[in-house]
Amino acid sequence: MVPEADTAADAALLGDLRGVVGDRARDNDFERGLYSRDGSIEGSLPAIVCLPETAAEVAEIVGVCRRHSRPFLARGSGTGLAGGAVPVGRPVVVATAKMDRIIEVDVDNRVAWVEPGVLNLDLSRALTPLGFHFAPDPSSQQVCSLGGNIANNSGGPHCLAYGVTTAHIAALEVVLPSGETTMLGGVDAEPPGLDLRGLFVGSEGTMGIATKAAVRLTPNAPSVRTLLLDFDDVSEGSAAVSAIIAAGLVPSALEMMDQRAIEIVEAFAHAGYPTEAAAVLLVELDGLPGGVSAGVEIIREVAEQYHAGHVRVAADDAERALLWKGRKNAFGAVARIKPDYYLHDTVVPRSRLTEVLDQVYRIADAYDLIAVNVFHAGDGNLHPILAFDRREPGVDERVKAAGRDIVAASIAAGGVLSGEHGIGLEKRDYMGMLFSAHDMYTQDLVRETFDPDGFANPLKVIPSGSRCSDSFHQHVPEGAWV
Amino acid sequence: MSPVAQTSTSAGTFALQLEIDSDTLASCVACGMCLPHCPTYRVTGEESASPRGRIALMRDVAERGEADAAFVEFMDACIQCRGCETACPAGVQYGHMMEVTREALASQTHYQPRLRRLAYRALGMPRLLGAGSRLLALAQRLGVLGAARLLSRIGRFRSLGTAVGALPRVPLRQRRLVPSGNDVWLFTGCVMDAWMRDTHRAVQSVIEATGAGVALPPPRAACCGSLHTHAGLGTDARRLARRVIAALPGDAPILVDSAGCGAAMKEYGHLLGTPEAHRFAERVHDVHEWLAARVDLLPAGAPIALDIGGPVTGGPVTGDAAQRPRVAVQDPCHLRHVQQAHLPVRAVLDRYVDVVELDDDGLCCGAGGAYSQQHPDIANAVRERKVAAIERSGAGVVASANPGCSLHLRAAGLDARHPLEIVAEHLSGDGGAGV
Repeated sequence: MVPEADTAADAALLGDLRGVVGDRARDNDFERGLYSRDGSIEGSLPAIVCLPETAAEVAEIVGVCRRHSRPFLARGSGTGLAGGAVPVGRPVVVATAKMDRIIEVDVDNRVAWVEPGVLNLDLSRALTPLGFHFAPDPSSQQVCSLGGNIANNSGGPHCLAYGVTTAHIAALEVVLPSGETTMLGGVDAEPPGLDLRGLFVGSEGTMGIATKAAVRLTPNAPSVRTLLLDFDDVSEGSAAVSAIIAAGLVPSALEMMDQRAIEIVEAFAHAGYPTEAAAVLLVELDGLPGGVSAGVEIIREVAEQYHAGHVRVAADDAERALLWKGRKNAFGAVARIKPDYYLHDTVVPRSRLTEVLDQVYRIADAYDLIAVNVFHAGDGNLHPILAFDRREPGVDERVKAAGRDIVAASIAAGGVLSGEHGIGLEKRDYMGMLFSAHDMYTQDLVRETFDPDGFANPLKVIPSGSRCSDSFHQHVPEGAWV
Repeated sequence: MSPVAQTSTSAGTFALQLEIDSDTLASCVACGMCLPHCPTYRVTGEESASPRGRIALMRDVAERGEADAAFVEFMDACIQCRGCETACPAGVQYGHMMEVTREALASQTHYQPRLRRLAYRALGMPRLLGAGSRLLALAQRLGVLGAARLLSRIGRFRSLGTAVGALPRVPLRQRRLVPSGNDVWLFTGCVMDAWMRDTHRAVQSVIEATGAGVALPPPRAACCGSLHTHAGLGTDARRLARRVIAALPGDAPILVDSAGCGAAMKEYGHLLGTPEAHRFAERVHDVHEWLAARVDLLPAGAPIALDIGGPVTGGPVTGDAAQRPRVAVQDPCHLRHVQQAHLPVRAVLDRYVDVVELDDDGLCCGAGGAYSQQHPDIANAVRERKVAAIERSGAGVVASANPGCSLHLRAAGLDARHPLEIVAEHLSGDGGAGV
């Protein structure tokens, strides 16, 4: 571990990495700066950035890092929102963006073998002519990589019906922190032994680097309808969410946006979102045509019952795409109000959505911040966005304090820390709000089985006081560590 | 092969004043939505070759007041397609930031060497450009361009030699265009008029088919200055813009058949900041925009097939549909991302052919004005993606409303034509002639 800059050690490390990837190992200030951040608001300079093109190179890079006792960290498209790809502790960044081949599409087994740098939407586009897609569709779908999806066990609007990433990964080739390459899981229905694949998915890069994955192919639904419901009152909107589920429907997506979100999204997408509404629900149904039509009628009834203003049913694929374009660009579009945003990701019981939303607005007011809400209402996955301008003095502290209060409010309502963005750096120090010291100790033991020396994406996820901690001031919750 | 610089040292820095205000620099939240829409990121997978990365670098240099050779290389590798602007949820004005950066580099450093500056200046001199083009045409026919390959081995002439060697075949003689009235101006430009005047001739015939009379600009309106803006030669660009504005007086619409020129002329208001320039910019239309509003005035297409040397299948063989050739539309970036005028191309073409959409979200083809001459490696890697998309479409002909894109695609062996050349062939009943 080299928390402070050590020029001689860096130079020796660079020499060995150049031996593996040549001029694709970079140590210039500019590029180290570019890889110091992801989509979150954290940042920290890596020692060296490597851009491997093959799994063999990844394994060799990890081997070199081991010999130099230097931590490493995998990075995909760098769109993560919890700081999971922020290089803490002067590690080597292993950026997998150049590993973007779809190796094989195996329709018989309904899997595709892909490299980690393949972009989520690129995969679904490539599968379209075959009648399949990759079901998890994070809002950053057009840019996020499958490696990143695997690391974070990413969700997305359509995971309500189809399940999150782990349900769609059959097998993984991974480079372990020891430098060895191994295969976890398998394309067979029930691979023997422990489900180590399931353990790896969502481990946020702390158990090694995935270099190849067999992802499951989901058949495209024969019929899809997308509806937009608007409400004068946020609480009626959230009540409608519960009513739709209670009516026995599982829409493929059930999204909610509040008024501020509607305004900024409409300014970008020009999709005809009703900017005067207090909230909208974006509901998508898919399946066989008869079932979808019946579902549309149920939603119309719920809409009436909860006083929705209009029920707009997208007429064609173009209109559907336009509505989704708005929803999926909501976070970036926040820059239309303020240049920075802090996006939270908590899950609360659906029945308590209204109450927690109220608290979110109150917390933002108390810290003099602007809150925008765009979220996966169907599974109670809140995404409160705090918009701010980091050039204002003292704003960082207010944003972080408000974020912490929002997390606390969600947990108090029976919720959890993260729905899909991961813990990363951002929520590491909040782990103690949800887990006991014993819980965290046990989690760390599992991690230690894969990575006894703490080389893989150090200082993330678990607030460990025992190692790698000197370079980063962390706040271990009182009594969290034994 | 890595198209971006690998190292920089603190020793090699120089002062650079980058005057982009902090609000503009802060407008990027680094969400990364631009990455897949950036052609150079697509082929490199490197942050330094992405809009998000370049903005971060600009911010860094603007704060520190100094840059180095790596910075120049990162900025120079941008094709300026502005696909990132269409993709950006925050509406970041990346193109203008890059123009300011290039102008700072050109005016404060040796970013644009003297020879290249002179070459850009020649674009505004139609007689010199014409004479040079004839000389080039002659040289191409006599096979003496081996000299260019020799030149490219000499250090300081390397870029010039490579550029000359990669030029398309230039016509030796071109017939004059003859004006037919005063209803609209047809802007003819510099290189396009010198090398591809037959495209203008086809465009003029389509405009005339609506009953309008076409006026042709005087030599003073010879160059729009777009390449100068992209190269950072702002003073030259503004001089050319003022000249063009003065040379095209009156209220008549100014129709442009080169997407790059049209985009530049529509931004004259921003470039010069005068009310006159804003009024002028209002008169500028891509020729397809103007035609799309008058598409009913165009004669219906004769049911004839283009000689496209590719499959004409793809639908049920019934009636005229079987006869309509399939044409893929390649959207020039400055038509789609800057002018947002790519749909009118379809409205016009659709009257005569079956328009086939590409599945690449309008990603750049790599031409980028002078870019493909200056960065052939990246330009060709970007073009490979476009060629693959065109091949997936199954269309034998590709329509491109920008001469630079057409030349770049033709150099890869594709049958690329201006959309209105295809229309003109139908109007003249000469659908089988090919180009």
